[in-house]
Amino acid sequence: MTRPRLIHQRTPTSGANGNVPISRRELLTGIGALTFAIGGSGLQTIANAADEDVTGIEKNTSPNAWLTIHGDGAIDIIFPSTEMGQGSSTYLPMMLAEELDADWARVRIQQLNSDDRRFGNPIFGGFLYTAGSSGVYAYMPPMRMAGAQARHVLIATAAKAWSVPAKRLHTAPGKVIDPETGQELSYGELAVRSDFVTAIPDLKTADLKSPDDFRLIGRSVPRRDIPSKTNGTATFAIDVRVSEMLYAAVLRAPVEGETPASIDDQTAKSTTGVVDVVTLPDGIAVVAETMWAAFEARDGLNVTWTSTSALRSANSTQDLEAYATAAESDAKAAVWHETGDAKSKILNASHQLSNTYKSDYAYHAQLEPMAVVASVTADGKAAEIWAGTQTQSWTTATATSVLETSADRIKLNMMTMGGSFGRRTALTQEYVRDALLASKAAGRPVKVVWTREDDLKFGWFRPTAAQRMSAGLDNSGKVTGWHHRVATPSVIAYFNPRRWEQVEPKDIISMRGAENKFYDFADVLAEHVIAERRARIIPWRAIGASYTAFAAEAFMDELAAKAGKDPLEFRISHTANNASGQRLLRTVAKMADWSRRRSDTALGLAYAGYGNAQAAGIAEIRLNRETGEIRVENFWAAIDAGLIIAPDNALNQIEGGIVFGVSSALKEQVTIVDGEVEEQNFGDYQILRANVTPRITVELIRDGPEPLQVGEVGTPMVAPAIANAFARLTGKRLRHMPFTPERVLAALA
Amino acid sequence: MTKFKLNGANVESSAPAETPLLWALREDIGLTGTKFGCGIGMCGACTVHVDGDATFSCLVTVGDIEGREVTTIEGLSPENDHPLQRAWIAEQVPQCGYCQSGQIMRAADLLAKNPNPSRDEIRETMSQNLCRCGTYTRIERAIERASRET
Repeated sequence: MTRPRLIHQRTPTSGANGNVPISRRELLTGIGALTFAIGGSGLQTIANAADEDVTGIEKNTSPNAWLTIHGDGAIDIIFPSTEMGQGSSTYLPMMLAEELDADWARVRIQQLNSDDRRFGNPIFGGFLYTAGSSGVYAYMPPMRMAGAQARHVLIATAAKAWSVPAKRLHTAPGKVIDPETGQELSYGELAVRSDFVTAIPDLKTADLKSPDDFRLIGRSVPRRDIPSKTNGTATFAIDVRVSEMLYAAVLRAPVEGETPASIDDQTAKSTTGVVDVVTLPDGIAVVAETMWAAFEARDGLNVTWTSTSALRSANSTQDLEAYATAAESDAKAAVWHETGDAKSKILNASHQLSNTYKSDYAYHAQLEPMAVVASVTADGKAAEIWAGTQTQSWTTATATSVLETSADRIKLNMMTMGGSFGRRTALTQEYVRDALLASKAAGRPVKVVWTREDDLKFGWFRPTAAQRMSAGLDNSGKVTGWHHRVATPSVIAYFNPRRWEQVEPKDIISMRGAENKFYDFADVLAEHVIAERRARIIPWRAIGASYTAFAAEAFMDELAAKAGKDPLEFRISHTANNASGQRLLRTVAKMADWSRRRSDTALGLAYAGYGNAQAAGIAEIRLNRETGEIRVENFWAAIDAGLIIAPDNALNQIEGGIVFGVSSALKEQVTIVDGEVEEQNFGDYQILRANVTPRITVELIRDGPEPLQVGEVGTPMVAPAIANAFARLTGKRLRHMPFTPERVLAALA
Repeated sequence: MTKFKLNGANVESSAPAETPLLWALREDIGLTGTKFGCGIGMCGACTVHVDGDATFSCLVTVGDIEGREVTTIEGLSPENDHPLQRAWIAEQVPQCGYCQSGQIMRAADLLAKNPNPSRDEIRETMSQNLCRCGTYTRIERAIERASRET
């Protein structure tokens, strides 16, 4: 395989994790190393590595070496997820370092650049897949266990060297100490001993460190990638430059399902700098010597497209109306969650209430548009790829399928991503495919870059959804039955059909949150009316919870009003079995001074979460009744995300999740007319800006021994809190997200 | 061939004069710290300084800057230790980091002209730059920190 040389314009200072790349010479400064292979239950093997094996980490040919302790004391720990801004490139390796009692300053983080399922994500069936705020909680048990076992191996080796009982030895960062003699052996010295202990210690969870002994976990250790993100040296896929590289812009079919019928590429081909024009399955790639030449020449393409796609009739407004009709009917639905008999409880209740809530398509708007570099060999059967994606597994699968080759002939470079929020998760990644096909045709490495217009027009979105909420109330104001019907397509069936075969008809991406697990309702029915897909759809931050929580929590406020109860008291009265939930509700009420009425603003409460992480939030809004503009002035949140590994980073993620929620609740809307996306760029797809960002106050309530989902817990509560504040301020309900000025004015009229 | 001053040094770009400065910087000159986000001056990821003023490098051509002085994130400070860069680390601002070169260049222009901006002045000025990860609150804090420390 040809290996294009990375061109470094200046001293390379960062890989995907902000690490200094290791040179071969540096790796050989130690005279050997101990390598540890890790699996789902912890350490699998221990080996004394020859120099060749140690350098294998850099070459990625020694995938067993998840942990390597070098003779000079340097420690390499593999980061098996990918980095999109969530910070886990620092904190997953740190969990292993904690139990190893490593000197954190000597730990180097190495990105896993292959689809090596031996350390796949345990909650995604072992695939290399970074999603669902799962990295920390999924990888914590094996990484901590492996670190603890490796530490025991080092202690046992020291005990053997000193001929003393292992029991009396302890460790300090990077060394084993015998307190009776004062002797010390550094981890580096132990790693190169020929008499190291090879038995894998049989440890139990109880043998792990007590949280009181943590030196790193819970201590706000700075992220490793941040310095490189303040000086321009962090290298994203869009920044990668390899020798002989060409650039490609792709003209895509305006409507999904169409293909080029005839192509006039004379003008494009005669544009200065254009090297090739390559026909793709659903588009045409213009390949040029510079990016700008490729963009310019693409405008000169004259293509007639087929016109047979059924999606030419896709219209987001009408399609959502059809979903609403299905939600409100008794059309067939897949049961997502059921306890008791909600339907008959509602039917027999003293009071009933039903309402329909809607939400539009939403776009990820990650700031780095899709960009990939691929270098395909002359035989067309092997490639090196530089891409930022949320999954080594599906990027590899895309490449092996496009080139009809095997995974061992694909070399990945997983680049740090300029945001993702679910966008780069699909089984088939067309941006990767296009770079491979363009490189194969051009015979040189090719970088494909999407413009913002491409990224929006050909985006895969959060699906539009219509939700019918129905509940019964008894005379004391208690909910007697809860029925949540969500009409939206199956996201999994589209973005990962292989997964759908395993889980059908349960779609966690479309339905998360509708299970309503935080309240103590005895009779709950959550159903998925699996609607016809009318656009490209994919996970989006907080997946289903970003709209199911809107419907559920806006509806809770309407139920509280019907019961004549304060929204806070009403929620507390339905969380009798959930001490954490009650604490969060009381905490956030205190933070926001809930009972104090404001003159020009109003507060709205919502209680939601993501997975097992819970959040209570209060929005304070101001309304311009002339323009219909809602301004969120304050947002308070109390969060239980379990054990917090990195408190400062957790706050950053939650603040970001809240900003994301405000943005989507107030502004974000993709419109599809005759199968084409109407919005073009950030001028008409607006996301929240600094001047209208609320003041955000977050209190983390640390509870329980397990970490939960931090990355997405901030988002779901936001939209209903705003809708509920609007109701308090105006007496009117907003039941269609986003709450644009037009919808606000219509509600006020 | 366009001659201009880049990060204190005289440079020449062979990119055609109508090429946006952004692409000339990233490809022809090879400084990739300046990012492409929208191409229409709506996101600020491409913010650089031209003759000391924060400028969307996607909206000026390389021909436009003949003889002028351009500063990019790579040239903001000799040792990457501008008070804003230090503050960005102290406040642990970035998440994905893609927008942050532009944010820092925008903030540097603000502080150069207004060393003690009010919170509202910070929020208004920084509204020209988008951050999808939602780090606005931390950006504000980092600018206030840098303002205090200079």
